Amino acid sequence: MSHCLRYTTAALLTAGLSVIAQAEELVVGAFGGSFADNVKACHVAAFEKATGATVSLKLGNSSQFAAALRATGGKSDMDIAYIDNSLAAQTHGENLNERIDRTKLKNAGDIIPTAWGEDDSYVVAMVSATALVYNPKLVKTPPTSWLDIADPAYAGKYAIGDISGTAGLHYFLALNKLEGGTLENVDPGIEAIKPIAKGAAVLYTQADQLISLFEREEIAIAPWYPDRAGVAMDKGLSLAVAYPKEGAVGILPAVIIPKGTTKSELAHKFLDQILSAEGQACFSERAYIGSVNTKVQLSDRLKEIVPYGETLDKAWFVDPKVIAKNSPTWTRRWQREVAR
Amino acid sequence: MMSVRRGLMLIAPLALVLAAFFLVPVLMLLPTSFSEYMPGSGLAKGVWTLENYTRIVTDEYYREVVLRTLGLGLSVTLVCLVLGYPLAFLIARGPERWRLPLILLVIFPMMLNLVVRSFGWIALLANRGLVNNLLIQMGLISAPIKLMFNLTGLMIGMTHIYLPFMVLMLVAAIRNVPRDVEAAAATLGSSRLHVFTSVTLPLSAPGILAGSILVFVLTISALVTPRMLGGPTYRVMATLIYDEYMQLLDWPSGSALSFALTIMAIGIIWLSSRLTKRWAGMA
Repeated sequence: MSHCLRYTTAALLTAGLSVIAQAEELVVGAFGGSFADNVKACHVAAFEKATGATVSLKLGNSSQFAAALRATGGKSDMDIAYIDNSLAAQTHGENLNERIDRTKLKNAGDIIPTAWGEDDSYVVAMVSATALVYNPKLVKTPPTSWLDIADPAYAGKYAIGDISGTAGLHYFLALNKLEGGTLENVDPGIEAIKPIAKGAAVLYTQADQLISLFEREEIAIAPWYPDRAGVAMDKGLSLAVAYPKEGAVGILPAVIIPKGTTKSELAHKFLDQILSAEGQACFSERAYIGSVNTKVQLSDRLKEIVPYGETLDKAWFVDPKVIAKNSPTWTRRWQREVAR
Repeated sequence: MMSVRRGLMLIAPLALVLAAFFLVPVLMLLPTSFSEYMPGSGLAKGVWTLENYTRIVTDEYYREVVLRTLGLGLSVTLVCLVLGYPLAFLIARGPERWRLPLILLVIFPMMLNLVVRSFGWIALLANRGLVNNLLIQMGLISAPIKLMFNLTGLMIGMTHIYLPFMVLMLVAAIRNVPRDVEAAAATLGSSRLHVFTSVTLPLSAPGILAGSILVFVLTISALVTPRMLGGPTYRVMATLIYDEYMQLLDWPSGSALSFALTIMAIGIIWLSSRLTKRWAGMA
């Protein structure tokens, strides 16, 4: 009797294990909010259908993923992750990224060559920017320069990002460049942004903080992301995107496969779905974001909002390695001299 | 008297849990706090430095944040004590039928998530928040007053969140004060005020101490409320540590700041318990 029970238990356990083995689970690190919804709709659904595997999303932001990768040191609990390219460069510097094998990707040939990170340690999956977003009801002449933020007409009616967010860092760097600074010497930028930060209605730390500020007309203009603005416009907010003549600052969300994943094959398949023309087009349309796949055709409405054509050519793509190396120093100076 | 061995056995389960899930992880941070961080490539291997600690003292900005944290902790504790004592006194000594509703009122805010309560304060204190809008409409002010991202906002939010802890501690302590001692003092000719200041207050000192330590430690280590109401311009140690870890990825600096915070908290608890014992005549 007891033997019988033992065998049954063993059989059941084996059966259970084989079921688990059949439906493999891929853990994907993704940003929250509408980004995760779009990942589910454009990348996860098709991937699950094609492979039979299931995807579980782990939500967070880029630096949280970088911190998690370091903490698990080569035994990551994520199999693939969306991450900003400067933090992808950081984790590559810490030797935490697996080299992406282009031969395993059917769509590798359609991707713009500049999308590939150093040593194929990451691949850029979408193109956006920090540009100027304004409320056309309050701003009659569209802004044309980064300096328009400081126009007395908007005194107290603008917001800028804290340096902890991409838009804050980008606006600071753009202003620095405009004032004659370089990436090695940001003194001019610090001096220029001090009064602007002081006069801002809010130093925002979360991108979507701006939605309610625009909604309540607490602000009229802010350096922000065209993709977020596009989604907010769809929800009925009165907003418009302006690309400053000095050039927007490019944002390149990338994808990495962390070292130590046991599901590298599956992760490559997921990456292939992200880079595929369908996956890219779907994400572009839903998220108002530029594509890295040359086969993707953007709609006219999208071309006005995302960096495209002239605005893309003029955009400044800061070397992610330089950002990774310098951002602690810049942040510390910002904490001490600007946000104090 | 209980034997030492039996005493140890009684605390063993808790001590083991604390050791495994608190002490060991904290000690694992110790080596990190002495290592050096190289932006772009991570923690330098085999390099040891004291700089993460010396910087806390020498760097003017860190010093400001440390002092601000301690100041905030003391102020919130004091305000909670001043607001909480009369309320606790009423609950402990007031009419019996008031006790349950009053205690429920005190505990009620604790049933709401911290994030929700902090968001509530944002809705109230923002530039176009309820408070400012009301004041502007009443014509008392012309431009919104800054109630957030500064000491005012943090004091309001933190006092609201930690007041229940203080009150609950005080209620227990005041109820423990023997009424016949007070009666004896009154019989001997003490005025009601004198009875309160020389008998009731000192005898409730253990509760005052416990409540104050609890509120102080919770305040200086709080993260969520300072992040939401203090923002990027008004940092305290907890938010600074979070940023060093999660945003700058500078774990050595974050670990050193964490140890500094822990050591300060332990030091202040030790000091205040000595002072209170002396005051209450327990030493």
